[in-house]
Amino acid sequence: MNKQITLTINGEARAVEVGPTDILLDVLREKLGIKSPKIGCERGDCGACTVLLDGKSVRSCLILAIEADGHKITTLEGLSRNGLTPLQESFLKHSSFQCGFCAPGIVLSATELLAKHPHPSEEEIKESISGNLCRCTGYKPIIEAIAAVSNARRKSV
Amino acid sequence: MTATKFVGESPTRIDGLDKITGAANYVDDLSFGPNLLHAEVVESPYAHALIKSIDTSAAEKVPGVVRVVTGREFPHRFGLYMRDRFIFPTDRVRFVGEQVAAVVARDAKTAKRAAKLVKIVYEELEPVLDLAGALRDNPTLVHPDLGKYPRCPWFFPQAGTNIAHWRKTRKGDIAQGFKEADVILEDTYTVPRYAHCAIEPHVIVGLCDLAGRLTLWSASQSPFTQRHVFAQALAPLGLSHKDIRVVTPYVGGGFGGKAGVSMEIIGAALAMMVKGHPVKVRWSRAQEFYNTYQRQGVIARIKLGAKKDGTITAIEHTLHWDAGGYVEYGANVVNAVGFSATGPYRVPNVKIDSVCVYTNLPPGGPYRGFGYSEFHFGLESHITRIAKKIGMDPVEFRRKNAIREGDTLAYGAEMNASGLHEAIDKVAAEIGWGRKEVSKDPNRVIGKGFACFWKSPAMPPNAASSAFIKFNEDGSLNICASGMEIGQGYFTVMAQIAAEILTVPVSKIRMEAPDTDRNAYEWQTVGSHVTWGCGNAVKAAALDVRSKMFEVVERALGLSRDTLYVEDEKVKCRARADFELPFRDFVISGIQTEHGNFIGGPILGSGVFMPEFTSAVSDPETSQGGHPNVHYTVGAAAAIVELDKQTGRMRVLKAVLAVDAGKAIHPELVKGQIVGGMLQGLATVLYEDIRYSLKGKLLNANFTDYKIPTSMDLPGEIVPIIVEVPQPDGPFGARGVAEHTMIPAAAIIANAVDDAVGLRLKSLPITAEKVALELQGIAYDDVKGAYMGLCFAGHLDKYDFHTKAAKK
Amino acid sequence: MAIAHDFEYLKPGTLREAVRTLARYGPRARVLAGGTDLITLIGEAMAAPDAVVDIKGISGLDRIEFKNGALSIGALVTFSDLRDSPIIAKKFPVIREMTGWLASPGIRNRATMVGNLCSAVPCCDSGPILMVYDAVIQVAGPAGKRKVPLSDWFVGPRKTVLKRGEVATGVVVLLPKKKHAACFVKLRRYEGEDLAQASVTVLALAGNSYRVSFGSVAPWPVRAHKIEALLEGQQLSDSLIRKAAQLVPEEITPITDIRATKEYRMHMCCVMLNRGLKAATARLAGAGPEYGTSLI
Repeated sequence: MNKQITLTINGEARAVEVGPTDILLDVLREKLGIKSPKIGCERGDCGACTVLLDGKSVRSCLILAIEADGHKITTLEGLSRNGLTPLQESFLKHSSFQCGFCAPGIVLSATELLAKHPHPSEEEIKESISGNLCRCTGYKPIIEAIAAVSNARRKSV
Repeated sequence: MTATKFVGESPTRIDGLDKITGAANYVDDLSFGPNLLHAEVVESPYAHALIKSIDTSAAEKVPGVVRVVTGREFPHRFGLYMRDRFIFPTDRVRFVGEQVAAVVARDAKTAKRAAKLVKIVYEELEPVLDLAGALRDNPTLVHPDLGKYPRCPWFFPQAGTNIAHWRKTRKGDIAQGFKEADVILEDTYTVPRYAHCAIEPHVIVGLCDLAGRLTLWSASQSPFTQRHVFAQALAPLGLSHKDIRVVTPYVGGGFGGKAGVSMEIIGAALAMMVKGHPVKVRWSRAQEFYNTYQRQGVIARIKLGAKKDGTITAIEHTLHWDAGGYVEYGANVVNAVGFSATGPYRVPNVKIDSVCVYTNLPPGGPYRGFGYSEFHFGLESHITRIAKKIGMDPVEFRRKNAIREGDTLAYGAEMNASGLHEAIDKVAAEIGWGRKEVSKDPNRVIGKGFACFWKSPAMPPNAASSAFIKFNEDGSLNICASGMEIGQGYFTVMAQIAAEILTVPVSKIRMEAPDTDRNAYEWQTVGSHVTWGCGNAVKAAALDVRSKMFEVVERALGLSRDTLYVEDEKVKCRARADFELPFRDFVISGIQTEHGNFIGGPILGSGVFMPEFTSAVSDPETSQGGHPNVHYTVGAAAAIVELDKQTGRMRVLKAVLAVDAGKAIHPELVKGQIVGGMLQGLATVLYEDIRYSLKGKLLNANFTDYKIPTSMDLPGEIVPIIVEVPQPDGPFGARGVAEHTMIPAAAIIANAVDDAVGLRLKSLPITAEKVALELQGIAYDDVKGAYMGLCFAGHLDKYDFHTKAAKK
Repeated sequence: MAIAHDFEYLKPGTLREAVRTLARYGPRARVLAGGTDLITLIGEAMAAPDAVVDIKGISGLDRIEFKNGALSIGALVTFSDLRDSPIIAKKFPVIREMTGWLASPGIRNRATMVGNLCSAVPCCDSGPILMVYDAVIQVAGPAGKRKVPLSDWFVGPRKTVLKRGEVATGVVVLLPKKKHAACFVKLRRYEGEDLAQASVTVLALAGNSYRVSFGSVAPWPVRAHKIEALLEGQQLSDSLIRKAAQLVPEEITPITDIRATKEYRMHMCCVMLNRGLKAATARLAGAGPEYGTSLI
């Protein structure tokens, strides 16, 4: 039986009708037009579908849309409402991405990390994105970009 | 070479902002409205079976099902280099997972349910799942009609066998070469299949409108080649090139897997069956593994002769490729290796047999490296071994034999300008070659491995690139070419090339992904050739634009074009120091004369490049007489590996790779290719491990059990080194580097493991498990269980390279 | 991914209601907590429940509590909760050590430890860790609440003792009274997210007493009682470890599957036992590798 649910997506409350078997990722993409979370493996292995659910990175391919009723969801579209975040600026500067398909997930995973640990160690950086597969870059420019944000913050303190 | 202002710099990627904001659209992100249909394919459960009957009636009755399509509607073969495929086979299935029918429905859920109701009766046949068996007397044939297939003229299929192509290269006197050798080393190596694992799965949306116009939105590296193959496959339905438009937005990784046409043909065909409705075919991750292209497996026998002083006298290199059920693209991989399996060395006497064998595994095809990664594993292992056998340092041995400009290649043409010696020296210095390192952990030992590499683009001799450039009112530019931005940075590099000629900064240049209706032709984005080939076309287009600007200025203002030049986005004149005309003042609306009229109009340029010096025509028995390869890119690499003798686990402490880019147009992007390619290569050695059941079913079609590297799996350090010996016919001296960066990975690890613990492993992958067991005296192959990584489950040393069909 | 199969989604607000619902559907119902296992199974048609019962509406199941030497982990506590918990870091650092090699943050943010036990896959990492602590699973059902020792919990791959209408509400772990230290060693195909090819957990207690368990090398996680008996009261030495390693084949029954051969699993269990015993003992003495350091 379908049910109307309400999600706060990127700060905006949106109502949408979903069925019990609808996957959050599909509802975001097909019913709400939020396309940055990508379909990569649909079994939680690749991280391309990462969104922040109440601030925590999750696999939107492993969540029923109906489970998210009443929760807050942040996607990449929601980060730059007031201009690029320092993290996005850093990714741009470091040419961190190649094909870019993993970027939405990685930007969100790193956003969660920096919210939790403003000055992460290299190991913490690697761990934070360890569930986001990137086949192009070898991760190095991504890790460097995240570290640079942390270092810049440290300098400005 | 004159100083450059834009080329050789590393500006921000022009696609960067799209990708870090979520603005970048990939095919699956495009919206097609509520009329969009969804397709689900019905797949073969067998590796080899006759299709006796297909009953679609139950599926057709499901509410929401629009159409069920089978091969009845498409009884014609198609293919890129050889027409050996059906859109949906009608006669027989040739691998587990092959599409036999498709259900098109209003929603994906209905399509999925209805697909289960399609009843197909099969008669199982003996599958060809053993390379030696495929080549025995009177084998089961995968393609009984092989002799009838149309093909490109440089393929040599053998009717009545499973040999789809056999590239033979002969140079010098092989018997004499081995006679002159003081040492001969002969051994067998195997490389299993691998999967590309682009994070974006294949997806295509097709719409044949009611006027009969077919548009495809495709995740592809090859929009024009796709259009061409679609036109070929759909010609019986009355379609031609002008009726077909392929639009390719951003692609979420390719690595060769999105070259040519694989599953995309289904989208094109289904669109024809549901006119007026867009229809989407999106592959699942599992389908991505078993029904696109895979990197082919190979069993290779190398016989190498050398003199005591280290001079190579002869090589005999025989490669049997497990090419899968269809080889319309994969046979060209086999072909490419057949020309180049000497590696980047001077070898006076050569015998190469590169044999493409049909089997009942999924189709092989292009994968970053195009066969070179595969043969370099054995060859570069072998080089180190023979050097040690004659008591010579393996790096010194390579230096001594490394190919030089002007040397005669295996197929008779001359080697191009090359920085191989410089690459060898720089890598050896960076890795501390010759310096033994000791681990702090008593359980661990440290070894070093070294390898050289080379690769040429495998292109038909008439593979062309072209480009349009047009100005906008503000003096900014659009480049309309059809290479694909698959992540390598193509957009940015093309912009830099145009910028260099026209002085318009990269930030004012826009490139959009191809649309075959609107952008200039490009053969395909493969072979690491677009920087070179399309770069030449963009450079030519920029020169055309510049000359058109001069022409307008000359006509409007009477300044001789010979005195004009461009600087800082202005036309200037050597004869009149006070003259300067900003582009934005005239490139759209022309130049107003004293009479009030305007001269000129929108400035448009075009450029074309085709390697007119190449030829695929040569003697089929020797490959002499043609010029199949445009040039080779060369390099060297090394690794320091720390190995735990008890666990077998290996940590790559440092990896170094030097590649001769000719000219690095964007050095940071070149380094990005080196780091990314090196990690992709290391994964194929250390843990990527494709597995088939002995009945041909892919067992690990997911990232849970086919492991690709994560951020935790980086080597301690990767040092990229750029060598620049210019390519005379490249834009600003550039040649391609992207595929090359994963080619030496397998050999540097194999050689490092041998250096560390004296264990020579001749089959990939070299997993911790394999190393640990071998160090315990257990042969991995004896205990590994009932699976295979390619069509070969036997013992390496027992493989017979001279079974009936493969006899010379 | 379109899930071809239909099911009802039910979200009880109380434990009583959940039990009633589960009893009504019996085996046709599946409990949903983090969903990282269940949704994958349904999506790939490996599970086809008629009802999915989401327990996230039940209050009180998301707590980590430490009282009177007993640690209670509610059924909704995620691996990230455990990883970030100061009490876990202080009292049960080996649990934190385990969470570092379990999946990746995006999974840990959702997957629960109790769910991991309920999935009951042979490679679950929570099982062997909790086994050395003699953990007890709290179960609520139509007949009321009961406690199941972890040693009785698993009855087969993906099978537990849970009966119709029952739901696991939490797991309780007693802090050993003696001074102790532990070590978790996990064999993986690479450094990234991976399921265990094999794992060894060692809990070293003051007075040369050890508890040892293995994961991924039997139909379910196993305690190595023979090895524990051999080690009991003995000063750890290389020769004692060698003797312990000789008992490994009597404790485990590894198989060859897609992730490893039985030969490698067996070999590595001996290697990991050796290193795990030494590391746990060293940690007990206030030395040894920091928690989170991979020993292999």
